Amino acid sequence: MEARLLLVRINSVLQFVLIFLTIIRSYVHASTTGQAGYVDKYITKTYFEKHDSLIDPEFDNFIANEIPLTLCKVLEDGNCVLPTLSNLHRSVIGEGSHRHLSSSIIFKFQPELKIKLVAHSCEVIMTERLPSGVFADPFELQHLVQRGVFSDAAVFGDTNLELPSFRSNRSVVEIHMSIGSKMLSRHHDKFEINCEVPLHARYPPLGLGFSRVEFGQPDLFMCCSLEVNGFKRSCAYLPTNNISDYKASPLAWEIPCGIREHAGVVSAITYCFALVSALLIVVLSFCYTDNKGSSKPKSL
Amino acid sequence: MLGISFQSLFIFSALFRVFLIIYGEWQDANMEVRYTDVDYFVFSDAATLMASGKSPYERSTYRYSPLIAFLLMPNSFLHQTWGKFLFSASDLLVGLLIQRILKLRGVPEKLCTYSTMVWLFNPFTFTIGTRGNCEPIICSMILWILTCLMNGHVLQAAFWYGLVVHMRIYPIIYALPIVLLLDPRHFQPGKKPVLVEWSSRTLKPSSATSSSKTSTTQYIWNFCINMITWRRVMFGIISASTFFVLTGLSFHLYGWDFLHEALLYHLTRTDPRHNFSIYFYHIYLHYEHEFSILEKLISFLPQFIVQLVLISRFALDLPFCLFLQTLAFVAFNKVITAQYFVWFFCLLPLILPWSNIKLVWKGLACIILWIAAQTNWLAWAYLLEFRGKNVFFQLWVASLLFLAANTFVIMNTICSHLYSPLFQQLKQGGKLKQGYER
Repeated sequence: MEARLLLVRINSVLQFVLIFLTIIRSYVHASTTGQAGYVDKYITKTYFEKHDSLIDPEFDNFIANEIPLTLCKVLEDGNCVLPTLSNLHRSVIGEGSHRHLSSSIIFKFQPELKIKLVAHSCEVIMTERLPSGVFADPFELQHLVQRGVFSDAAVFGDTNLELPSFRSNRSVVEIHMSIGSKMLSRHHDKFEINCEVPLHARYPPLGLGFSRVEFGQPDLFMCCSLEVNGFKRSCAYLPTNNISDYKASPLAWEIPCGIREHAGVVSAITYCFALVSALLIVVLSFCYTDNKGSSKPKSL
Repeated sequence: MLGISFQSLFIFSALFRVFLIIYGEWQDANMEVRYTDVDYFVFSDAATLMASGKSPYERSTYRYSPLIAFLLMPNSFLHQTWGKFLFSASDLLVGLLIQRILKLRGVPEKLCTYSTMVWLFNPFTFTIGTRGNCEPIICSMILWILTCLMNGHVLQAAFWYGLVVHMRIYPIIYALPIVLLLDPRHFQPGKKPVLVEWSSRTLKPSSATSSSKTSTTQYIWNFCINMITWRRVMFGIISASTFFVLTGLSFHLYGWDFLHEALLYHLTRTDPRHNFSIYFYHIYLHYEHEFSILEKLISFLPQFIVQLVLISRFALDLPFCLFLQTLAFVAFNKVITAQYFVWFFCLLPLILPWSNIKLVWKGLACIILWIAAQTNWLAWAYLLEFRGKNVFFQLWVASLLFLAANTFVIMNTICSHLYSPLFQQLKQGGKLKQGYER
């Protein structure tokens, strides 16, 4: 009898321990998964959930330390042989207040990697930290996504389309470009991605004629999805510093600005012109006679 | 002159608008430059948000009454062109109402048709609805209010007036002339107001009524002494109630977002970006600091003076007064965009039968000067916006020239107008005064 009671108690304790261990295990698993990390749909979104505005050192720190860059682990590639950047050519094309920031990116890769990258729906994600003075229209980008130019695009930060630059903050454009079809159709060890992001100039602060806006380097990531994780994906950072010629000639955009010296003259003449026009109408209205009934009427 | 029936013209206009809508869909799908106005996508997105139970103000740059989004909800479940068909139908309704108003005033059929053609075949107007801009709805409501007043339906006019001011703020400038017109000498119990016929514009005013200059002064004097009449009070109560009920309901549903985007934004709007207004460069040059109260008052003074004088001089000839007020309001406004032109284009056909202006050459001079001033501005704006040249100063000078052209048009319109009060004066007992000698 006592032996039976003892066995029941031991059984209960064992069950309790098992349940407890199961709970602990799932917690550890979750923690491990969180640490191993998957990136949400948009990399930049996480930054702006924690920060109010774009500050370069903070964004650098965010990329270096807060984005789980676990693509190699997920691909089970012990050597972590990912495509490497061979060339990055950047330019601002167009004229006036509406231009395109063009990036031509050439990757080199091991041929045996091709199948894996295509199978995992890999894409290149480019985050462009826009300087103060230019902005991207999120609705325009969505239109491009609908037309298939990008696989996805979003703008984070200050998305106000109307304020001048001295009343607005910076923003980040995130562009997603699928590489599957590009890889299959290209040479066996290289492929090229061209990206043109439409940008618009804000009204700059007053100056002497033109305001200069300079672009920095984009941040490039290779991200791949595993079906089981849905939108969550694993990424690897692709450094650009060592291959571009950014330091030699920074990318710049000259935007016409109002000339401060005009202020006095423009204000005075604007007020006077409006007043004179108004007075002309007023004087004529009072001088208007209503003896038009005797005037020759319009003939049909 | 060709004998063209209004019915044929109307059917042709309708078919042409249908064609433009279909063409617009093709262009949007196949060309990089879209036919559809960017505002239409704003309306559609706002309507989609509303259809899914969200606030339309989650759509950035949606700055209209939620009623517009409500009207466009079928865009999301019927077809994306529903809104364009609705706006184009309103555009055609404006044409019908122009015809009706002119006929009520006894304008001959042919002149009615020619005047209506000025609206139906104006490139501004047939593109604005088909591109997806909502202004034709506002224009049709303004003309409907005029029709109601002409038929003596004051309370109905008041309701629509409250509604149109809720949807677009600018018709608030019509309040004073309408209230002036609700004079007991025009509206008497149990009687429709009597319209002054178009044919009487050839007659001299009699000494009994004296000149209309004095009449207007008399009306204003009478208004100041006897401003409180039951019609004016009812018009005020019903229009204000309609406005506040709709505004209150919108505020209840969408909060401060609605109030800020749909109302306060328009009341306080100062846009430093280039537009037709002479004030744009002045605002940009001073955008880094706030304007003083004095500076704001000085900017507002020309607009205020012109509106007051036009009302005091021409209120009794209501369509003419509304046209001048609207044209002046747009010309002196701090922000002018091309869609504002439709506000006075819909009123232009209502005054043409009373204008002495000869198309050759005075009329053509007005048209050419106005278009040339606009084209000049557009050319400099193109250099600034699409070529990146620093031509702010030249663009500002072009905006001065555009104001000069608008002033020229206003002055010529006044000079060549055959003043004709909308209503005849009634004696006590409803009898007509001897207004005009025959």
